[in-house]
Amino acid sequence: MKNLFLFIGLCIALNVTAQTPYQTGMKKAFSLWEAEKMTEASQLFERISTVETENWLPFYYAATIEIIGSFGLKEEAILTAKLSKAQEFLNAASSKSENNPEIIITQALLNLAYIAFDGQKYGMTLSGKNNQLYAQALQIAPQNPRVILGKAEWEMGAAAFFGKSTKPYCDEIKRAITLGKDEKIEQEFYPKFLLKRALEVLKQCEN
Amino acid sequence: MKRFIGILFLSSQISLFAQTTISGKVTDIRSNPILGANIYLDGTYDGTSTDENGDFSFKTSEKDTQTLVISFISFETFIKTADVSALKNLHIKLRDDVNSLDAVVINAGTFEAGEKAKVTVLKPLDIVTTASAQGDFLGALQTLPGTATVDEDGRLFVRGGEAEETQIFIDGIRVFTPYTPSANNIPTRGRYSPFLFKGITFSTGGYSAEYGQALSSVLLLETIDEPDQEKTDVSLMTVGVGVGNTQIWDKNSLSVNASYINLAPYQEAFPDRNKWNKPVQSANGEMIYRHTFKDESLLKIYGAFSYTNFELIQDDINFTDGFHFGLQNRNLYFNSSYKNKFSDNWKLETGLSFTNDHSNLKIIDDKIDNTDNSVHFKIKLKKQFTTRFKISFGSEYFITNFDESYIQINAQKFTYGFKNNLFASFAETDIFFSKNLVTKIGIRAEHSGLLNEFTISPRASLSYKSGKNSQFSLAYGQFYQNPKNDYLKFNVDFKAENTSHLIANYQHTKQNQIFRIEAYFKDYNDLVKYNTDVVGFNSNFSNNGTGFAKGVDIFWRQNGRIKNTDYWVSYSFLDTERDYKNYPTAARPNFASKHNLSLVGKHFITDLKSQIGFTYTLASGRNYTNPNEAGFLNNQTKNYNSLSLNWAYLIDQQKILYFSANNILGTKNVFGYNYKNTPNTNGTFDRQAIIPNADSFFFVGFFWTMSDDKKSNQLDNL
Repeated sequence: MKNLFLFIGLCIALNVTAQTPYQTGMKKAFSLWEAEKMTEASQLFERISTVETENWLPFYYAATIEIIGSFGLKEEAILTAKLSKAQEFLNAASSKSENNPEIIITQALLNLAYIAFDGQKYGMTLSGKNNQLYAQALQIAPQNPRVILGKAEWEMGAAAFFGKSTKPYCDEIKRAITLGKDEKIEQEFYPKFLLKRALEVLKQCEN
Repeated sequence: MKRFIGILFLSSQISLFAQTTISGKVTDIRSNPILGANIYLDGTYDGTSTDENGDFSFKTSEKDTQTLVISFISFETFIKTADVSALKNLHIKLRDDVNSLDAVVINAGTFEAGEKAKVTVLKPLDIVTTASAQGDFLGALQTLPGTATVDEDGRLFVRGGEAEETQIFIDGIRVFTPYTPSANNIPTRGRYSPFLFKGITFSTGGYSAEYGQALSSVLLLETIDEPDQEKTDVSLMTVGVGVGNTQIWDKNSLSVNASYINLAPYQEAFPDRNKWNKPVQSANGEMIYRHTFKDESLLKIYGAFSYTNFELIQDDINFTDGFHFGLQNRNLYFNSSYKNKFSDNWKLETGLSFTNDHSNLKIIDDKIDNTDNSVHFKIKLKKQFTTRFKISFGSEYFITNFDESYIQINAQKFTYGFKNNLFASFAETDIFFSKNLVTKIGIRAEHSGLLNEFTISPRASLSYKSGKNSQFSLAYGQFYQNPKNDYLKFNVDFKAENTSHLIANYQHTKQNQIFRIEAYFKDYNDLVKYNTDVVGFNSNFSNNGTGFAKGVDIFWRQNGRIKNTDYWVSYSFLDTERDYKNYPTAARPNFASKHNLSLVGKHFITDLKSQIGFTYTLASGRNYTNPNEAGFLNNQTKNYNSLSLNWAYLIDQQKILYFSANNILGTKNVFGYNYKNTPNTNGTFDRQAIIPNADSFFFVGFFWTMSDDKKSNQLDNL
């Protein structure tokens, strides 16, 4: 999981020269993220979000960092505090941008954090929810490589548990990789496809 | 970045050269520095995080009055509006967030199940995977301390109280007929399928002023707000079939379930001690419609219909040809609820339920027809002034119309009934003094039209968190309940029965581990007494009955210490006596055992994709009256023992095979004795043991879910 956030951080492009405080702020936040200063990065996104009230991206990244940071936690009080905060950010993000597949799959990631913590307590309600979320995201964005990868990874987990072959999902992952390579990002700071992570998942799948 | 922003401001706002430094220290209320708190001027990019000493300092080019925001997880956000020049060398003490998971909770008397609960005693799956429960949510609750094993009845008997002293609510609205009808000595079940509910709160005493007309206990069931996905469920069971479907569109969802149960094949294969003229047959239908409005307010409409019929002859020492009993029951239940948040932290909850229950009974050669029409309307408002101070208040109205006709073998007919209207209002406040100390104080006023009586019940509880993982709680309350329908139909010149609860609780929780111990004392007054063997028009009634119940309940749950294994132990000690009904003297009622022990274990075997579980229940003997000896309730049965097993096998993600067996050792349990009305030639009364209809019960089911994602299953349905 640690790798995941590193990749997300690393893969954010730094290709535009600084112009606005927004761009400077976002870049600074990503560089903090890269340096694994998670609290600072998250807080900077949070601060940006209070200015850029109509932009979903700062909320989205503030949520993403909290979610990633909650995997592997041992204390439920801290976990729920972090995830409730992430949920507030995600709710704010989706109110700025409805039916956004990136936000929907991040919601699924948030649910997964709960399930990973205590499957018995949260699994029953949230895994159904996640199935629904991935289906919804795929319907909105059938060619979105992050959605395809996320969905395949989620389903692989269940298949592995039931001792079924994970092979059918490898093709999906490959498709995500191809789509990811060709993807043109039009909005600045829009989430990127994490190729390196996708290759790792593919390796798991083919094993 | 700070410098960079500074430069930006310098270039963009030429007139501005002056930068102000904002600095200070952030600590908790005990002055311990807080590392990593987020500090910023609202609506600007200017801000920073605190260092390990809690210190912070940043520069801003903003001028005049600004709002400084300091936020940190598990603390209340601090907001200060002042001129920037005044925001220097601040010492800010963040207050604990009293809503966080590790804050104190009011919990005396209460068990919570579901993911919303801060301390979950039962998890959602437990309701359906507990070996002895057989898919009935009541069955799982009967493994918690404070409940008694009354296996021939099946209802909830809590802390020395009768089953009628427990009231059940769905989404805050009363359920008037929560149990399926059954014959004497055959356990009943809850009418409602467990998968409808996302949370269950089971209070064994000292509950909120919002709930009344319950002397012992309230069970609060909260239905699911939004179903996860569209799906179709099919169940094939040894006792019947079931089918369910869920549709979701826009902001609406509709779930429909139907089931048909017929015990004929089972009773053919495993005959029990009764002669079934008509084996149990029941048809059930349920429907829930949910709509979320634009403003996030939520409307739920729930309707359930059930039909049951059976006829049997039970062996009875007083009837040479057996005791003939037949029943036909139809039950319609409708419950709608609406909740909304509005303006400044106000919350509105309102709901209405309607029950129409009609039974035709055949008892030996007599016929009884009865109809119960009941309505409950409730409206409740909640206002959160701060996170530490909340109030709620509301009113409710109950109407019960009960009519019964009794037709004797000679065709003589008697009709009787009553109308029971009750108006109640309640108000309650929650006050957090700190993250470690909370109190809840409430009052409830009721006016019963039928009894023409006005009652006031105060309620109070207090909880103190004594350490990171432990807390103490106290609760006190006064509770009133109108006499049960069985009495009201013959007489209405009553007062409400009443009791007071005093509860002290200690709880220690860690991740995957709960220990709690609770002591209580209940003092019953104004209980109904009568002077005949069975209640009837010829009975003389009074409110002169009294009683008490005191005891200790212990609960321990541990998960994962042994790999893939979850277990809990409940022990209840109960000391109770009552002088009520037609008792000649105070005595321990026949439904109460002094000691109750439940041990529940579950183990998941990954290789077999199976969950296996067991429940062991032990209850010490119950009182019965032996007319061959002097005294009343003068004897005690042997201990009750039962070991139940279950096994759920996941064939694949959407198909489950489920097997369960209750009382697998076939222990011959005895609930009491039935004595002959007249002595035999030797002058002694012969007796017959009251025993279960069958010692063991087996169940096999196959559950198949069809959904688009091909992944959900009915594990939550079992």
